[in-house]
Amino acid sequence: MEDALTLILAGISVGSVYALIAIGLNLTYWTTRTMNFGQGSVMMLGAMMTAVLVAGGVIDALAALASLVVIAAIMVFTEVFTVRPALKIGGSMGWAVSTLGVGIILQGVAAKYFGSQAVAFPDMVFSAQDYVEVFGVRFALQYLAILVLSVALVALLELLLRRTVWGRAMRAVSMDADLAAVAGIPVRPIVLGSYIASGLLAGIAGMLIAQTGGTVDPAFGFDLMIFGFVAAVLGGIGSSSGALLGGLVLGVIEKLVGGYVSTAAAHGIAFALLVVVLVARPQGLFGQREVVKV
Amino acid sequence: MRHARLLGFVAASALALTAGAARAEDTVKIGFTTALTGPFNEFGEGVHRGVVLAMEKWNAAGGINGHKVELAELLDDQLIPDRSVQNLRRILDNKDIVAILAPSGSGPTLAVVDMVQADGRPMCNPQAQTPSIVYPNGLDKPPRPNVFSITIQNNVEAEKMADVLAKKFTKIGLLHESTGYGVTGAKLLKEEILKRNKNAKITQESYNQRDQDMTAQLVRMQRAGDEVLMVIGLGADMAVNRKNMSRLNMNIPRYGSAGTVTQPFIEGAGDLAEGQRAVNFLFASADPMRPATKEFADAYKAKYGVDRWWGPDASRPQASMAGTVASGYDCANLLFDAIRRANSTKPADIDKAMEATNKYPGAIIDQTFTPAKHNSVGPDDLVLYEFVKKDGRMQLVPTQE
Repeated sequence: MEDALTLILAGISVGSVYALIAIGLNLTYWTTRTMNFGQGSVMMLGAMMTAVLVAGGVIDALAALASLVVIAAIMVFTEVFTVRPALKIGGSMGWAVSTLGVGIILQGVAAKYFGSQAVAFPDMVFSAQDYVEVFGVRFALQYLAILVLSVALVALLELLLRRTVWGRAMRAVSMDADLAAVAGIPVRPIVLGSYIASGLLAGIAGMLIAQTGGTVDPAFGFDLMIFGFVAAVLGGIGSSSGALLGGLVLGVIEKLVGGYVSTAAAHGIAFALLVVVLVARPQGLFGQREVVKV
Repeated sequence: MRHARLLGFVAASALALTAGAARAEDTVKIGFTTALTGPFNEFGEGVHRGVVLAMEKWNAAGGINGHKVELAELLDDQLIPDRSVQNLRRILDNKDIVAILAPSGSGPTLAVVDMVQADGRPMCNPQAQTPSIVYPNGLDKPPRPNVFSITIQNNVEAEKMADVLAKKFTKIGLLHESTGYGVTGAKLLKEEILKRNKNAKITQESYNQRDQDMTAQLVRMQRAGDEVLMVIGLGADMAVNRKNMSRLNMNIPRYGSAGTVTQPFIEGAGDLAEGQRAVNFLFASADPMRPATKEFADAYKAKYGVDRWWGPDASRPQASMAGTVASGYDCANLLFDAIRRANSTKPADIDKAMEATNKYPGAIIDQTFTPAKHNSVGPDDLVLYEFVKKDGRMQLVPTQE
């Protein structure tokens, strides 16, 4: 029983990171029907810049904040120079290639300026030895912190989307950008904002996961981005609660299969599950079918 | 008149080119592909630096029998096997090259070794640990005629680790990366442990390089009641694994392969590195250092200073340098010395001279090859290290275990 709880907690915390990435992908999908395929590199950059700055003597919180500011600037560049031009041509998939390209360039830049080897990521809030005991079962505080922070971020995002004017404007843009523009909603800043928010979520996810592993290198993040994408599809593209649940389900199944069946099969079974879900519910667990009038 | 001047210019240029070509042909040319950039450049760039130091040493002394050494082809493969194959094809197409160094890592080296054997020119392997690189038909069968290795072969490391583990433990957790290095290493170690203790119970689990969480593997080992954890893998993954153990309150002794003894593990694991054990060469930890080790260390420090490859202690290089810079240095020196003794650049002559290498004072160990034995390192060349925190930093101390 203790084993199962340990595995579930590890799965939930890894799944929370998948969920953060998935929600980041969703944000830009809402506003532009595009996704940043360089999201893995954004995660890497957030974690690597923080690690390098902390190693250089900058205090943890300031280092994390500075990294997030740089990420925001990179996301502005990504939206303005790689996504926006591609969207001028209807049906173009150029954004997929250009965002992936930005990701690869970021990897190269990180390798050039921070080195291509793994650098140590500091214990920012809790160390690997910190834990709480609940009913005699030991829960690592690093895992719990990831879970709490992820859930809080998702809740905050949902609140912003549902209760604020900007949130409502964003939802309007996601439903029909042209109509929103006609209604006087500033579509451009909202699209830009969705890209910035998406990057910030990825940057935070990168820092959270790098902390548990202890190191980060320029190739970090790509696998996680794939799992984030799977979580988004599993939960239903465009749904925040779906992305959260998709991430958690994926993480927990991965760990339970690894712990009780075979670690080699963990990823295989997780992907098989995705196929089954998509056959039964093509729109994902929480997604809504898009109705198109012809 | 104009024609005559033009003709004169062409003739002079042709003469200059011919003279240049003659000078270039005079050099002894070597080439290699390795991980100069990318996440594993600690290994490839390390080998490159070692080769440069060896070349400078020989060239300062007048070259090999009067011919200067030249690094004619240096290509980057980032430890990706496909790129190693492309790069090595280009190197083999350069018929002026007389000797080759193998790429870093078992994957790239296994991908190119058949090409090299078919070509016939001699190759020295500084890092890749898989035994089939040298012995494709089994360890008791003849080696490839033109491939020599100075690395800690998986079977040698397995023998050393099995001696340590089987003596003290019965329930052993064996965690390894899913690469050729990890899988072969685990298979050989398992066999060696069972040879020494038939009742040993081994829980074997694998992980992929860069996995950020290994909870599932470790929980399975906890459930099996393992008394010790042995990990075969590389630095940064080792830090992930060690931190994971701590989160699971898994306090059993932990041993690692030579790949553990690298800077990414020490930096990534922080204080959790304390008490961890791993095998490696005695190298610069010998007190006093062997003269050849000292000569290498002084040359490195003079050229590159105290850097990431050297390690935190300015007085002596860290243990992992034996597997990076010193490997390239020794491999290049062995090839150069064989060419000197053979007084020839024909592959068969160099191979024969390599096989006659007897106690060449390398930076790592005294290197010896025979016609039947093309790998120079045995279990007795290795020591077990333990990480100890001294003077506020993590240090590797040889143990008597």
